[in-house]
Amino acid sequence: MQIFRVVSELVTTKRNFWLSAKPLRVVEDCFGNLEVALDPIGAKSGDFVVTIGLSAARVAAGNPKITTDLTIGGIIDHWDEDSWR
Amino acid sequence: MKICQVEGTLVATARISGLQNRRLLVVKERGSSGKQVAVDPVGCKPGDWVIAVGSSAARDAAGSKDYPSDLTIVGIIDYWDETARASESARTSA
Repeated sequence: MQIFRVVSELVTTKRNFWLSAKPLRVVEDCFGNLEVALDPIGAKSGDFVVTIGLSAARVAAGNPKITTDLTIGGIIDHWDEDSWR
Repeated sequence: MKICQVEGTLVATARISGLQNRRLLVVKERGSSGKQVAVDPVGCKPGDWVIAVGSSAARDAAGSKDYPSDLTIVGIIDYWDETARASESARTSA
């Protein structure tokens, strides 16, 4: 699992059926690389989150048929830039 | 499996229900700068050198096939001297 920061939300009206109606977020890692993650809990911009990758991302999304390779698993209570980079 | 050093615990109160109340630890993989988060069913202290499994084995190692983990700690290494190993590898590459 990795630590990301939520940058913004991402709206895609036309999407794969198996992505269903779950919200998506643009997230960045400690080097500034952007990724898109599925968000089942409702993280806000600026929140530090733990993300789950690989096949566990599909389990974390609540249904193994959902087509995701990155899912937000939790919002971190206390975290700052210094311990991140 | 990866060799990692435990940095500390990670508190995430708002989490998906599948993660349950398992302990999450911030770990640093040997030889890399980035930090990762691992599920800890073993009970490690900060500073411990541990072995962690990834991919779908991480789900099984966390206790069940339905547990959403991509990195799970499976053991604490009894003896690991990082400074000795670093100098040894520097000598062989020279």
